[in-house]
Amino acid sequence: MAAESAQQFARLEAQAQVVMSVFTKAGHESVAPAVIQPAGVFLDCIGESLRARTYVFTDPDGAELCLRPDLTVPACRLHIARQSDPATPAKYCYNGPAFRFQPQGADAAHPREFRQAGIERFGDKEAERAEAETIALIVKALSAAGLQDWTLQTGDLGLFRAVLNAVQIPKRWQKRLSDAFWRPDAFRAELKRLTTAPGAAAKALPADLIAGLKPHDIAASALAVQAYLERNKIEIIGTRTLEEMAEHLIEVAADMLATPLDAKSAALIESYVAVRGPAKTAGVEIGRLLAGTKGGTGAALDAYDRRLALLANAGVPLDRVSFSAEFGRSLEYYTGLVFEVLAPALGAQSPVAGGGRYDGLMRAAGANADVPAVGGAIHTERLLAALDGGRS
Amino acid sequence: MTRLTLAIPSKGRLMEQTTEMFAAKGLVVSKVGHARGYRGEIAGLPQVDVAYVSSSEIAAALKSGSVHMGITGEDLVRESMSDADQRLQFLKKLGFGFADVVVAVPAWWIDVATVADLEAASLPFRRVHGRYPRVATKYMNITRRFFACKGFGDYRIVESLGATEGTCSSGTAELIVDITTTGETLRANGLKILDDGIILKSEANLLASNVAAWTPRLDAVRAEILSRMQS
Repeated sequence: MAAESAQQFARLEAQAQVVMSVFTKAGHESVAPAVIQPAGVFLDCIGESLRARTYVFTDPDGAELCLRPDLTVPACRLHIARQSDPATPAKYCYNGPAFRFQPQGADAAHPREFRQAGIERFGDKEAERAEAETIALIVKALSAAGLQDWTLQTGDLGLFRAVLNAVQIPKRWQKRLSDAFWRPDAFRAELKRLTTAPGAAAKALPADLIAGLKPHDIAASALAVQAYLERNKIEIIGTRTLEEMAEHLIEVAADMLATPLDAKSAALIESYVAVRGPAKTAGVEIGRLLAGTKGGTGAALDAYDRRLALLANAGVPLDRVSFSAEFGRSLEYYTGLVFEVLAPALGAQSPVAGGGRYDGLMRAAGANADVPAVGGAIHTERLLAALDGGRS
Repeated sequence: MTRLTLAIPSKGRLMEQTTEMFAAKGLVVSKVGHARGYRGEIAGLPQVDVAYVSSSEIAAALKSGSVHMGITGEDLVRESMSDADQRLQFLKKLGFGFADVVVAVPAWWIDVATVADLEAASLPFRRVHGRYPRVATKYMNITRRFFACKGFGDYRIVESLGATEGTCSSGTAELIVDITTTGETLRANGLKILDDGIILKSEANLLASNVAAWTPRLDAVRAEILSRMQS
């Protein structure tokens, strides 16, 4: 990999300085989060798929630590350590190594040790402006480093939630579909379950248990669950509470009475997931899909259009921007916009930069509430390879 | 190489049952030198060196090819490598050392009977506790492969090297992946096995390494051992 040869390292550092100066001129403070991080925070936020690719180890005191697999979570932790109120607005930038185990074996395009130069923007309530400026700044830094030929791929989980809202399916189904959205197979299975037999799981529950549940009274339902367990001499162990059990059982039981999701709504959800193309026409297409629904197009599509206009104003040529509803499915902490910058020399499997919105991450990293957060990072070794015409 | 190394479990029931079964097939294994040593031989098969090795190390030795043949549980083999069917040959199931690798959750989780239910329950769990449910296991690789195959990703593994069944009641994990024979220990610890939670029905196997150094002479010795075992 590039950083392992002295000459390449010098080139990487020279390139990083160009990139970092673009970031600092735009008001991002340069910071250096710790390379070694407590494993728990990471593993609780990122799920088992990235954990399997994270170098985790135990130090001589028995503490579980890891080499950071990216710099976004470390930047969140740094912000929390510096600010008594994590919602305090801040703009950071960084340049440093990240580490990922490559199960298929490390190679030049997928090194186990690589460098990221990136930006994070916390606490900014003007969502679309912050997003457009973040993308524009990443693109500006790539251009300053010499990259001329690139395209921008975007996705938006906010739009997906808006679609679910527009077809007005129950909140509990919206949550389930949003959660399954990350995994295409699970998503299709859940959609099929909702359109055919949403009550299948509830039918397996004992009738005397279901009878005791009161849909709008969790405390009373919890007592009913407790009584059921006592009657059947089942001991309660572990971390789940009676209240959360009761709340979930109420949702499961509600499915028993629910009419299946109608074919028209299911078809609309599937049509949305299939939308892909130039960002401008994709917006029009989504607007047409949502126009006839009970919920209407809503604020999410307005936000989408506003962000595109802001991107154009910031100098990003919109003819290079595409949108795919399915895009961003593999990265679990994003909550809204997701983007990647692709260089034709490297192909779609090796984006030179990427990022998005992750409003839930600060809370997962230790803050007491969600904090608006958007950021992006450049894979500097790939950028160098792209500038060399794809050789690495 | 002119000698064949056969790795046999170095202690416990697995060693006893292996020795008994070999003897019943006319392969009398005895220790060479000190009784507490770790080397042995088979009467009538002078080309064979017997190495007494711990069961999990037998899987690793077969994987690397440092022994030609060995006896160990399929669970340990599958945990040690993802490409067991390429690296090894499963010559014979031996009919002892039975153990099922299973997913078990607290019995009072009335809302969870399958892996799909587990996924449905882990969403509200994450909302309440701010983290994924933890799975205690020493079978990290088997667990990851099984859940990946089921499309379940909302969990976090915590490594557990002993008394895994106790981790749910002690609060260090929400569910476990562990071995069981009768399920009695799981029940005693307030746990139940998921309906589709039997990952692997394991038993002791006679195995050969494909990556060890084989010669026509050693192939013949292996054929002799296998034909005796199949008699």
